[in-house]
This record gives sequence, C-alpha cells and structure tokens, in this order.
Amino acid sequence: MKYLVRAFVLGIVGYAVGVGLTMAIRGGGPTDEVAVVIGYIFALMGWLGGIGGIEAFGRQWVGKSVEVSTARGWRRYFQFSVDHKVIGIQYGVTLLSVLLIGGIAAMIMRVELASPGVGIVDLDDFNKIVSMHGILMVAVAVAGIIGAFGNYIIPIQIGAQDMAFPRLNAIGFWLVPPVAIALLMSPLLGAFNAGWTSYAPLSVTNESGQILFNMAIVTFGMSSILGGINIITTVITMRAPGMTWGRLPIFTWAGLATSVLAFAVTQFFAAAVILITMDRVAGTSFFQPDVGSALLYEHIFWFYSHPAVYIMVLPGFGVILEIVTTFSRKPLFAYKAVVASLFAIVGLSVVVWAHHMFTSGMANFLHGPFMIITEAISIPTGVIFLGILGTLWQGRLWFRTPLVIAFGWLFNFTIGGITGIFLADVATDIHLHDTYFVVAHFHYTIVGGSIFALIAAVFYWFPKITGRMYNEKAGSIFGVWLTVFFNLTFIPLFWAGMNGMNRRIGDYPDAFEGANKFASVSALILGASFLLFVGNLLYSALWGPKVGPNPWNARTLEWLIPSPPPEHNFTSQPVVIGSPYAYGVKGSVHAYFPDANEGDDPGDGSAQNQETVLA
Amino acid sequence: MTTLDTTPEEATAESHGEYHQDMSFQPKANRIGLWLFIVSETFLFGAFLSARWFSTGTLKPEELNQALALLLTIVLLVSSISAYLAETSIKYDHRRNFVLFIVFTIVMGLIFMGGVTIEIKEALHAYPPETPYGTSYFMLIGLHAFHVITGLLALTMVLILGLKGHYGSKQYWGVEGVVKYWHFVDLAWVIIYPTLYLF
Amino acid sequence: MRRSWIPVVILWVAYTVLIVVATAQFTWFPKEWAREAAVVDEAMLLLQYLAAPIMSLVMAVMTWSVIGWRTEGGAHREDGAPVRTNKIVVTTWLIVTSALAIYVVINPGFVGLAEIRGEPSSDYVINLQGQQFSWEVTYPNGATALDELVIPVDARVRYDIISIDVLHSFWVPAFRIKIDALPGITTTAFATAEEEGTFEDDVNLRIQCAELCGAGHANMAMPIRVVSEAEWIEYVEALATDG
Ligand code: HEA
Ligand code: HEA
Ligand code: CUA
Ligand SMILES: [Cu+2]
Repeated sequence: MKYLVRAFVLGIVGYAVGVGLTMAIRGGGPTDEVAVVIGYIFALMGWLGGIGGIEAFGRQWVGKSVEVSTARGWRRYFQFSVDHKVIGIQYGVTLLSVLLIGGIAAMIMRVELASPGVGIVDLDDFNKIVSMHGILMVAVAVAGIIGAFGNYIIPIQIGAQDMAFPRLNAIGFWLVPPVAIALLMSPLLGAFNAGWTSYAPLSVTNESGQILFNMAIVTFGMSSILGGINIITTVITMRAPGMTWGRLPIFTWAGLATSVLAFAVTQFFAAAVILITMDRVAGTSFFQPDVGSALLYEHIFWFYSHPAVYIMVLPGFGVILEIVTTFSRKPLFAYKAVVASLFAIVGLSVVVWAHHMFTSGMANFLHGPFMIITEAISIPTGVIFLGILGTLWQGRLWFRTPLVIAFGWLFNFTIGGITGIFLADVATDIHLHDTYFVVAHFHYTIVGGSIFALIAAVFYWFPKITGRMYNEKAGSIFGVWLTVFFNLTFIPLFWAGMNGMNRRIGDYPDAFEGANKFASVSALILGASFLLFVGNLLYSALWGPKVGPNPWNARTLEWLIPSPPPEHNFTSQPVVIGSPYAYGVKGSVHAYFPDANEGDDPGDGSAQNQETVLA
Repeated sequence: MTTLDTTPEEATAESHGEYHQDMSFQPKANRIGLWLFIVSETFLFGAFLSARWFSTGTLKPEELNQALALLLTIVLLVSSISAYLAETSIKYDHRRNFVLFIVFTIVMGLIFMGGVTIEIKEALHAYPPETPYGTSYFMLIGLHAFHVITGLLALTMVLILGLKGHYGSKQYWGVEGVVKYWHFVDLAWVIIYPTLYLF
Repeated sequence: MRRSWIPVVILWVAYTVLIVVATAQFTWFPKEWAREAAVVDEAMLLLQYLAAPIMSLVMAVMTWSVIGWRTEGGAHREDGAPVRTNKIVVTTWLIVTSALAIYVVINPGFVGLAEIRGEPSSDYVINLQGQQFSWEVTYPNGATALDELVIPVDARVRYDIISIDVLHSFWVPAFRIKIDALPGITTTAFATAEEEGTFEDDVNLRIQCAELCGAGHANMAMPIRVVSEAEWIEYVEALATDG
C-alpha cells in the first residue's frame, strides 16, 4: 500500500511539475494540450518510479544493487511485484474491473437506444460513451487473456520459474492502470467522441479529451510490446528439459503467436495517435483537412487494429483448445496443423488491413487483393475449428463450467467468423460497412471469441490459482445465461444493420425500434448475469471448498504442482518426456520430477518407456 | 517436491526449499530480448517512414542544407565505430580505452545533436511544420532525435558505471546492450537521411 | 459409440435444410430501389446459403456432444480414443474450406465487384458536399439544395462526393451504396433508381451519413425523392431559376 500511495503522490506531483514547466516556458493555461501532454509524461514517470521503479531500476542505474519486494499475502498485489503469478492476478483483476466499467457504459448505451429519440444522454455524449466503451473493451480484449493467463500460466506450462525479464513484466503491468486512469479522467477535458477508431480529421479537431486518449494508447502500446517481447523470450529460452517445440502446450503456442503479433504491430497504433497529437500540439499537418490525408490515418490505424483482432482472439483459441482436450479426454486433434494455422493467421493478418476501408475511397485496384487475402484467413481459422471439432468427436465429454462456456464460444465464434466473410466481400460490405451488422459481427467475434474465452479461462484455472473450487451450479447457470442472452442481444442487431441502421448514433428512425428494444432488454439481462459471475468468484475465492493440485485430471505442467503454486512454481526441476495431450494412451506421462522425493513420480518410474509411444 | 495431496500451506512452506531454476539462460534471453526490442523499434520507424512517403511522395524543398546533413551522417557513423571499439575494449578489460571511446562517442552524439538543432532552426523558416514536407521532416527528425537523446543518456550511465568499475571482461552486458542500441540509432539515421535529403 | 457419425450426419443435414428453408422463406432485406441493390442482396443471399452447411456442421457436432458423447463422473474417468490426427480428414477439410473460400472470392466477390464498380458511364452527374452536419446537393445545371435530393428514375447517376471538414459517408440504404466523403478528394458512386418513391414511402430512401463526424452525425440525413425523368428536369430547372 505504501508504494501505491507513493505512486499516486509522485504521479500527481509529476503532472503538476510537467504542466508548471510548460506554462513557465511557453505560457498558456493548464489545460492547453501541450501542457497536458508534458504533464502526462511526467506523471507517468512519477507513477512508475513511485510504484517501485526507483528500487527496481533506478538504483541499478546509479550502480547500487536492485531491491525487489519480498512482501507476502495480499499486500504484494498492491505493489511492484516481480512474481509472474502476482502480475497475472493483477492483470486479471484490473482488466475484469475495466470490463465491468465498459459494460456499464454499454448498459447506458442500450438504455438510450431502447427507443428512438434522445433519451437519457444527448447525441454527442452518446458518441463519447460509445468511444469510451469501445476503447476500454478493446483494451480488455487485447490484454485480458494474455496479460492474466499468459503471465500466470505460460511460465508454469513450460516449466520455468518466472518470466525471462521479471522487472520488465512488472513495468508492463504497472503501465496499465495509467491507461485506465487517463481514459476515465478524459471527461474532465471534454472526453473524446471520435470512436475507438479515432478517425482523423475529426480526432484532430475535437475536444482535448482526445489527447488523453492518445497518451493512453501510447502507454498501453508500450505495455503490450514489453509483454510481447517478454513472452517470446521466455518461451524461447526458459523451457524445461525435454520441452521440445512439439510438446509445447497449445495455450503456450497461442500465447507465443499472439506475442509475435503484438510486438510487431502495436507501434502502428501508437504511431497513428502520435501523429494526431503532433497535428494538435506541434502544428504539423498529417491529417489537417486542407493539406493532410485522412486515408493515411486509416492505413496506419488498421495496420495495427486489424492484427489486433487476432491479438484478441488467438489466446482465446489457445484457451478453448486447452479446455476441449481436457474435458473430452482426447488428444488435441491435428496438433501440428493447428500450430501451423496459428502462425499462418499471424502472417496473413498483417496484410488484410484494408478490408476495413472498402468504402473509404482508396484506390480501386486494392479492393480485389484485400478481399482475397481476407477470405484466405478463414482457411487457417477453419483448421483451428477442425482441431476443436475433431477433439470433441467421440470424446468423453465432462460438462463442467469451462466446457459449457467453451460451447457458447464455439457457437458464437462460428457466427462471428461467418459474418466476417460477409463483410470481407466488397459487394456486400459496401452496404454493410458502418452499420449494426458490423457491430453485431465484432461483438460475436470479440465478446463471443475473446471475452467468452477469458471467462472460460477464469473458471478453468480458478482452482489452480486460488486453491479453491468455484460453485459449479452457479457457474454453469451463468454459462448458459451468458450464452443465451448474448445471442438474444446481438442477433436482432444483424437485422437492424442490414435494414439500414448505422452505428454510433444515439437516435434512429422509428422503423428500427422493435429490434432495438428487444436487444436492449436482452442486454440488461445479459448484464445482470455478471452479478452471478462476480459473486461466484468472490465467494468461492474466500469460502469455496479446497481442491487438490489437479481437479480436472489434466496433464499440462501447471496441474502437476500444488494449487495455488508455490513461490517459485516448482520445488524441483520438471523433466518433460511426452506430449501433454496423450489422453487414452496407457501409462503415458507428460512430465515428471526426477529429483522429487520417493513416491512422487507420477510416471511410476516407467516414464522412459513412454517416450517412444508418444513422441 | 510433491505432485499430489499437498495443501497450499505445505507447498508454500516447501517452496523455501533449495530449488532454483538454473540461470544460464539469462545472457541468451537478454540478447534475444534486446533484438526483439530493436526489431520492434524498426517497425515504429517504418510506420513514420511510410507516412512520409504516403503524404509527400518524392517532394523535397530546395532549401535543404545538404552539406550539414552529410556531415552529421559521417559524425554519427564515426560514433558507431567508436562505440563498437568501446565494447571490444571492455571485453578485453582495457578500461582506459573503454572510457576514452565512450567519451568520444558521447561527444560525437552531442555534436550530432548540435547540428540537428541548427537544421531545425533553419527548417522552421524554410519549411515549417505546417507545410507537407515540413510535417514529415519534423516528425522523423524529432523521433530520431528522441532516440539519440535516450541513447546519450544510456551512454552516460554506462560511462558513470564504467568509471565506478562495474564492467569487465566477465560482465559487460550493460555496455553491449547500450552499444547495440546506439548502432540501431545510427542505422535508423542511415535510412532517414536519404529519405529526407536524397530522394 | 463407434457409429456415432451417423446421428451427426443426420443432424448436419437436418440443420442445413432448416437454415436453407428459413433463408428462402424470410425476406431479409429492405426494399430494393435501385439496380445496384439487387446485386448486393443477391450476393448476400448466396453467402447465406453457403454459410448454412458450415454453421450446421458446428451445431451438429455440438448437439451430439451434449446428447451422445456426454459422460458424468469425477476426475478419474476413462479416456477417449487416442486419435491424434487423421491425414485424410485434415486434407479433405483443407481442400473443402479452400475451395469454399476460393468460390466465395470469385462469386459473389469479384462478380459483385465488377457489377458495382465496373461500369463508369452515367447519364447525369450530381455533386454532393458533406459538411458538419448536412449535405449540399449541386445538380448538373448548377442548382443547389440542402433539404432533399431529387433524382430521375431509370437513369444512371454518378455522385461526386466531397467533404469540407471531417470524414462523412454517403450511404443510401435503399440503394445499398456507400462511399466516404473525404476532405479534398472527390469520391464517386453510381446508382440507378428503378422505381419512383419518396422518403415517406420508405425510410431507407435517404442519404444517411455513415461515418462518425461529430455531435450531429446521427441526424445527418437527407430524404430522397425519385421522380420521372421529365419531372426531374422540370424540378432542377425551377430550382435554378428560383435561385
Ligand atoms: C476478435 C475479434 C475479431 C475477429 C476474430 C474477426 C474475424 C474476422 N473479421 Fe472482423 N472485425 C472485428 C473483430 C474481429 N473480426 C472488429 C472489432 C471489427 C470492427 C472494427 C470497427 O470498425 O470498429 C471488425 C470488422 C470487420 C470487417 C470490416 C467491416 C466494415 O467495417 O466494413 C471485415 C471485413 O472484411 C471483417 C472480416 C473478418 C473476417 C473475414 C474474419 C475471419 O478471421 C473469420 C474467420 C472465421 C471463420 C470463417 C469461421 C470458422 C471457419 C470455418 C468453420 C471453416 C470454413 C469456413 C469458410 C471456408 C468460409 N471484420
Ligand atoms: C471486448 C469488447 C467488447 C465487449 C465485451 C462489449 C460488450 C457489449 N457491448 Fe460493445 N463495443 C465494442 C466492444 C465490446 N463491447 C466496441 C469495440 C465497440 C465499437 C465502439 C466504437 O464504435 O467506437 C462497441 C460498440 C457497441 C455498440 C454500438 C454503439 C454504436 O455504434 O452506437 C453497442 C450497442 O448496442 C454495444 C453493446 C454492448 C453490450 C450490450 C455489451 C455487453 O456484452 C456488456 C455486458 C457486460 C456488462 C453489463 C458489465 C458487467 C455487469 C455488471 C457490472 C452488472 C450490473 C449492471 C447492470 C445490470 C446494468 N457495444
Ligand atoms: Cu457526417 Cu456522420
Ligand atoms: Cu479486420
């Protein structure tokens, strides 16, 4: 707590110093955009230093030894901890809270949209709420799974004791709260009303809240890049003996693919908003209506933001594949093809961005190629579906909450993916672009694909992380409730879009009232389901029944250590000797602990023989 | 280590045991991490460079100070060589040479920054940021100057730590990392220079 | 267990038939007022038919998972068959999905693209200027209007669109046509209205701004009236003389 307080104090002091300096040097008021930018940069440095950067990095820079906290108990969650498990939980709790805030924004939107005309918020405020909802949720989807479970689970799954760069990992997390704070403070400066896409030139001419949006994106970008680099390095260098690439658990593969994408493209969103910031504060003219080019912004933005949708969904693929194998008790079907597809998606996703620009007025000859490549992405995605369906095929399905939600995921993402094909087609996209059809498509993919997977992951790894079991009945009721009302909310919106309702409007023609009312009522019921979710987690984390190391009888390494895992994950070196997914193979073993005490070897000493069966 | 039937408390108690993963991966991890960071930075520069091509094509004003830019390019390239020599010196424990070369590199970097300041002053009159070329010019120069400044700060840090005797043939990762970063900054200029001045 | 592919296939076929029949029964699209609209709707309908078997396959496996493959029991249950992969299945899947994707790219992809963007000739040119938050129409004879767009039926009209401030987007839902209005760059769209009518007949007979442009974005719409060619010429001329 001490550090958190210090971080806030230094952050505020930093802000004041930055603003003061700017005003002293160039005059002007405290809400001038230049002052806000400089203030923000100082505030960020103050924050990072205060939370623990001084001890973890600053001391080293002046030649003293590094100090990292050794606090235990709940305290360590509120300070600069370098333990990847603590960081994972910090990410998880922070981003789930952001999800709830973004969800409340969604509820306000749905109430406003329940009937035509201006209701509880006026049109401009509505756009500001849409923009806020969009960017908060995108942040959750981009960092949710990879931040929380990528950090918590990946090092354990590969048999490592932490990340390759624990201090950078902590910095990566502590960059996230400033993002949320900046975004949520932006209404003080008039908020931002240009959507999460922030298309120029609107974003060059709107109110100053846009500046905080831009700063938040740059900060969040740094966090993503650091996280990406960290995970790639960890997976390359820290695998336990015997953890060959062919034995890597699928969630780790998915995390690796995501990280490759994140560290390579996130700069572009940062670059795009930096250019906007420069147009606003330094007088450049990248996007100014008279001399600049609006298309330039769209190209740079989508060069990040299309791949970003796969940054959101690839870890989701990993989670769902992991859950499906565990609960159908069958090997992951077509493992190699699935891994290859993950990377095929990474490769293809950086060359399809202009499918968001079919009506933007870009050169005509670009339409054909982008349509081809976009539709090509459905082929590797299809292989991942094959992996899921093939694993389910004739499995011994054990319907626990994670599997229930995975089924919801499967249904939703199929709809989301297929409607993506509708949008990829130039002929149909000319009509559908910027309508509620697109809104429905991306809720089916982001919520259906990324948030459902995040929730499934929360249930799947909950017993591992807390050492307690969630309430199964409440869990599966929530799963069904979520799936049903999610579909009831967004199915009518496909219809509304096709029939002429465009997005980002707080008022619409009366003809669409029926569909919207239905969607709004469903959305409120959907929102209420989260009470059950949060209630279940909180209650079970405190009072749920205790569980052993491996309640699902799964095989990857995290299930071979106690729940919750000890401080350094492993008390002796794990040695990997087979595939993690050799369900149904008698006596097969993924890993064992050669140095462990007598009787602890799960492979009964016969481990060596299985290698031939499994390799 | 047990895999079954351990309570969390026992597990935590046990974790104070002796096992720690062997740290031999760390140097390799550092190198990979740095390279990934540099690749990542390259893409950032790539974004700005492509913005320059997109918004102004091959347009370029007459007033550019070609002589100064060429001179600065040479200064920066020379500093890259001296940085390399500094790294080699410390690898062989030649501390004095190491300090000399680092100081030389920093001086070169400062000269470069001085030159850039002159250029910016001239540019503010000839092609201010409001003009299409000025827009790209200031953005790229600004981005690069920011990297030069961080590079100089890092070099100064290495110099101070070096004077305190923190580095030697056994432990020179700090030097190596900063020097690699400095090479990257130079290389970026080698691409920015023709983009702004030659084409 | 062995023969459980039979119920899955039955389910697959049943779902497919169900979706196809439902697709055929239901009118999905609003009224088509222009030739281009028919192209778009046909493309969309074709995609819906193609989507039916894909969606149905997923649903069939899911259904049978719940009915046929579910087991109960705790952690120490029996495992499924250790099938790790199957070359034939994977290859077939790849071939079929690739074929589907290629087919979709050609038709409706390129076919629709050619029909919508292919033919650059037009009978009339109408200029539209987007601004926060209204549209300004300029007819071929220079007459301008801010309240409604009147166009001739059965004539191919080219719309030259520009913006003077931020991005807007020219969208006529009834024509299924959309193109952004960019500051400083003229974009074009073509549409051939096929029936006379007004905004009062169908809300979709309007120009709706479809690109977020600020506070008035939602209401940046302009009604369209389609009239006979003679009537249109008369209207435009009257507009020019009235000033
Ligand atoms: C997690 C997020 C996510 C994911 C995974 C996707 C996946 C896809 N998206 Fe989506 N998309 C978004 C999030 C996402 N999208 C968002 C946020 C926007 C809007 C942004 C904004 O404007 O605010 C958007 C917008 C968007 C557009 C632009 C619409 C417009 O504004 O005009 C397009 C157009 O091509 C598109 C296409 C696709 C395609 C082809 C896929 C494919 O990857 C889908 C592939 C999956 C399948 C096809 C299903 C499974 C496959 C099989 C069962 C095999 C057999 C199938 C075939 C052979 C067809 N998306
Ligand atoms: C991860 C991404 C994500 C998620 C999870 C969601 C979740 C939801 N979204 Fe959102 N949405 C986006 C990403 C996401 N959205 C994006 C990127 C945009 C585009 C923005 C733009 O145009 O710029 C968008 C836009 C968008 C629109 C279009 C607005 C417009 O264009 O005018 C709508 C309209 O219905 C909508 C609705 C919803 C609803 C009802 C939910 C629900 O699923 C939310 C359910 C969750 C909760 C409700 C929170 C928790 C519940 C409680 C705290 C309990 C108590 C609360 C009550 C019962 C009130 N979203
Ligand atoms: Cu004009 Cu939206
Ligand atoms: Cu996309």
